[in-house]
Amino acid sequence: MAQEKWYQRSGAEGDVVISTRIRLARDLAHLPFPAWMTAEQREDVITQVFGAFPNDQPCAFERRRMSDVPARELLAMVERHLISREFARDPSGEALLITADEGVSIMVGEEDHLRIQVLRSGFDLDSAWQEATCWDDYLDTRLHFAFDERLGYLTQCPTNLGTGMRASVMLHLPALQEKGIIQQLSVTVSKLGLTIRGLYGEGSKPEGALYQISNQVTLGITEQEAIDNLRSIVNQIIREERSCREQLKDSPAFEDRVFRSLGILQNARLLTGNEFMTLISPVRMGVALGMIDHTDLNALNSLLIDAGAGALMEAAGEELDAAQRDVRRAALVRERLR
Amino acid sequence: MLCDHCGKYAATTHVKKTVNGKTTELHLCAHCAAQQGIGTNFGFDLGDFWGSLFAEPAKRTQEDTVRCPDCGRSFREIADQGRPGCSTCYLTFYDRLLPSIQRIHGKTQHTGKVAAQADGTVKKERELQALRDKLNACIAEQDYETCAQLRDQIRALEQEGEA
Ligand SMILES: [Zn+2]
Ligand SMILES: [Zn+2]
Repeated sequence: MAQEKWYQRSGAEGDVVISTRIRLARDLAHLPFPAWMTAEQREDVITQVFGAFPNDQPCAFERRRMSDVPARELLAMVERHLISREFARDPSGEALLITADEGVSIMVGEEDHLRIQVLRSGFDLDSAWQEATCWDDYLDTRLHFAFDERLGYLTQCPTNLGTGMRASVMLHLPALQEKGIIQQLSVTVSKLGLTIRGLYGEGSKPEGALYQISNQVTLGITEQEAIDNLRSIVNQIIREERSCREQLKDSPAFEDRVFRSLGILQNARLLTGNEFMTLISPVRMGVALGMIDHTDLNALNSLLIDAGAGALMEAAGEELDAAQRDVRRAALVRERLR
Repeated sequence: MLCDHCGKYAATTHVKKTVNGKTTELHLCAHCAAQQGIGTNFGFDLGDFWGSLFAEPAKRTQEDTVRCPDCGRSFREIADQGRPGCSTCYLTFYDRLLPSIQRIHGKTQHTGKVAAQADGTVKKERELQALRDKLNACIAEQDYETCAQLRDQIRALEQEGEA
């Protein structure tokens, strides 16, 4: 645990942008897609991907078979955005390659044979893409990816055909949410080939005001065009969020909410996941606006991950029920926000 | 396939129109498609994709003898299961899947990164296209010296591999 993880510090435009992700979907030619694979074929794919990193050479990745991972750790991995919920549901015949800082991970046997993923703190599309395409090139010379000159990378779901690339940016948009213009924003970005969705909770006001915006179209657009398109939209959203925050800043009601939320987080003895997300959001905005100075964005980004149900159980080393987790969550938050 | 409209560039957008039961196909290059406002809206709907597979009753009866050489599925089985069995399905049933793929992405020609084992014709075609675009610009600017150089480069690239 000595190695710092990518999410433990905030990055560029960290007041609004939590993280950046690039994901590449790749499949091996002449094999059924994972949904139809036999146990032997799943094993074969894992062997091929593990084999791409020779045993006698230093390897950037830790190689893990998901069936060996305890359930609580699977959940913690979902919370750290390393694996998808679907991947965690049935870990048999699945594997994960992961770097020490968890910034690069490769899911083997998810919806596609491979999902290469790079995570970065803050707004960092270019470097995330550079790293992803590098590992893609490395694997491309060692595995036979299914590719067609007309349709690009051939993926299980036709929505990923072409580049197979999904670029996503996780945003904290409390002021835009407060103003009630996310719905309108969602309609606008969908016309530009992008999609925006709440990260936690359903409905128009997701807990924590955390949103993920990603490119939707992957065929007939280059990776660079998709990234540039996403970047220019995200830049506009950042400007808009900041200007809305400035408008909120001087209202006594807003100031009250920031400090009231902080007060509860610093003193509560029980915190559900939802309540934590609802309260941490105004506190994060308060920190970004310089209203609170005894914690910082780095600490809050870590806390967003560490207060998850899976993370709490992983830290405890045992399964916990909801009531036990609420006690531990409140204790963790009190300690971090002291 | 060349563009039906200008006849100069490769057709990358394929539109099917059915009027009074008569279906006509239009193949356009990216430029002409954009001019006609086709393929510029990026909206997609997954239900739409698979829905369209089911909505081809006339085609379902025919060609069901064709099967994917890798996974053995017929087009009908893919439609019934709601997803392809393997990557080769896309190549086997390319023509029948293309309208649905276009509905999702608005486009049908990959323009991104090219995998290592691709045979290189796409890379070459893109280089040629870039040179032809430059040539067009030079002609417009009456820069005939550069034109001659570009023409030589294009000819050399075209002849490459033919010998
Ligand atoms: Zn044309
Ligand atoms: Zn097949």
